Amino acid sequence: MSVSNDASAAQPGRRFRFPVVKISFFSFCSLSYIFLLSPLIIVIGASLHRGTRYTVVQFPPDGISFYWFTQIPASHWESLTLSFSLATLASALACMIGIPAALGLVRSELPLKGLISSIFRAPLQIPSIVTGVAFLQMYYLFGDLTGIYINGTFIGLLLGHMFVGIPFVIGTVGAVLQRFDTRLEEAALSLGAGRIKTFMKITLPVIMPGVYAGGLYAFMVSFGDVPISIFLSAPGFTTFPVELFYGMENDFNPAVLASSTLVILFSLGLLLLMQRIVGLENLLRSGGGAG
Amino acid sequence: MKARWDLVLVPSLIISFVLMITSQLIFLKSSLFKDLGLGRTGDEVVFTNYIRFFTDDFYIHVLWLTVQVSFLAMLFTLIFGFPVAYMIARLRSRWAMVLLAGIVISTFVTIVIKVFGIYIMFSSSGIINKVLMGSGLLEKPFTVIGNNAGVVVGLMHFTLGFGVLVLYSVVQTIPRSLEEAAQIHGSNRWRVWRRVIIPLSLPGVTVSALMIFNMCMGAFTSAALLGGGRVFTLPVLIQRIVIMEVKYSMGGTLAAILLVSVLLINLLSIFLITRMRKQRLVIT
Repeated sequence: MSVSNDASAAQPGRRFRFPVVKISFFSFCSLSYIFLLSPLIIVIGASLHRGTRYTVVQFPPDGISFYWFTQIPASHWESLTLSFSLATLASALACMIGIPAALGLVRSELPLKGLISSIFRAPLQIPSIVTGVAFLQMYYLFGDLTGIYINGTFIGLLLGHMFVGIPFVIGTVGAVLQRFDTRLEEAALSLGAGRIKTFMKITLPVIMPGVYAGGLYAFMVSFGDVPISIFLSAPGFTTFPVELFYGMENDFNPAVLASSTLVILFSLGLLLLMQRIVGLENLLRSGGGAG
Repeated sequence: MKARWDLVLVPSLIISFVLMITSQLIFLKSSLFKDLGLGRTGDEVVFTNYIRFFTDDFYIHVLWLTVQVSFLAMLFTLIFGFPVAYMIARLRSRWAMVLLAGIVISTFVTIVIKVFGIYIMFSSSGIINKVLMGSGLLEKPFTVIGNNAGVVVGLMHFTLGFGVLVLYSVVQTIPRSLEEAAQIHGSNRWRVWRRVIIPLSLPGVTVSALMIFNMCMGAFTSAALLGGGRVFTLPVLIQRIVIMEVKYSMGGTLAAILLVSVLLINLLSIFLITRMRKQRLVIT
């Protein structure tokens, strides 16, 4: 801090000697933002345009109308409900499996720790499309053996989504655990709290930011997934992104823009909520998929 | 009594292990049987599918195309992502968080919705063509849907946000004081970049590049939608072969080849990471 202040004080004008460079650097950076955010803004904008069936897609819209929001077909609500409950349950299960796994990985001296850790990380390494194909074939074989086919069912989707969600929770919770001051637990134990009480009152609250962050990643990955769900869902029983995916390949219903807008706003709301609870810095520190 | 944290891990390990091993083994095994089409497979272990893959020009072309578009998308992701990551990491104001949030929100929204936006943008009456044709720069509408450029754009939408987040943590490992020291000693901005920032971030950037390349190799949704049924990358072909042509064992073969190439790249990046750690280069 002080170094830079001294430097600029000693050489006034140095920092602004090349404003052109600075300005062009910032405009170059803004290109990335335009690239990343313009599709979302366009979808939201176009959803507000009221038009006839065939000239409907227009950006910027002429005035604001919520007409298409009243036209969202029942199938969208159904697939949105499915996606939401799937993502909620998948992230909850991923937390239930990921938290103990992170505790074990960080706190014990296991032999073959590297191998175990890479088994837990594997779902991130395997391309989702491969996971989709592999789970589909696994369900077929399981069905052939037992007579119970779980492809195209909620359980089938849930297992696949949980599988890819686990590494995110392990990554974020593990990152928090590494900074954990174990003296807190020792204090609780020495003051007479049992192991379970110590875990519930000390450990869990401290690792909660990691749980929220990992849970959020698992939720969003599940909520937006196409390559796994496309294999595991059935006609009439699809998640929202898969429904959009097929919709885009076939017929275009402008109400799609309205339901997409709702999803964008929902994701934004969820992110803001998490930012309130744990802070963006915490959300990113563990790196999620990067870790 | 010491807590047995290793036992806590066991149930999770069993679940993860069983799901991973069974699913992977089953499809790898199925890829070894001859594909008879329509979901039927032969019952003796042969390598027909693999031989077919490596002798058929079509499949080789698909693999090569996948590598090409992934490489381009990776390159552009680095070119556009690194300055943004650098800017965010070096900002001292609250804006840094706002800018990060912008990146995060764009990665959180499903890629299918973003592709919608791209469709609207590039439609013949869309904003881009209106501007370009209105200004006389273009005579006929320009599109990215259904060509390789579109696939690269789609892949970048998939990787750019993630890339910025990863590169951000790379830049954070470079102490600001080093840049300031170079400036105090008379280096201009360009020289600081060339002599300090780029060399110090190179190890981290290399590893990030491999990660991004891997994401592109396995990317399905954006490649499928922006390829418009005309551009086939390996993941797009896998979905088509399994769902439309119901060739499970050929699909399994393609998936196995994709998996192996991705794992090889991962091994390479792990190798690089360990080598850099030995040389005491700081990376995340």
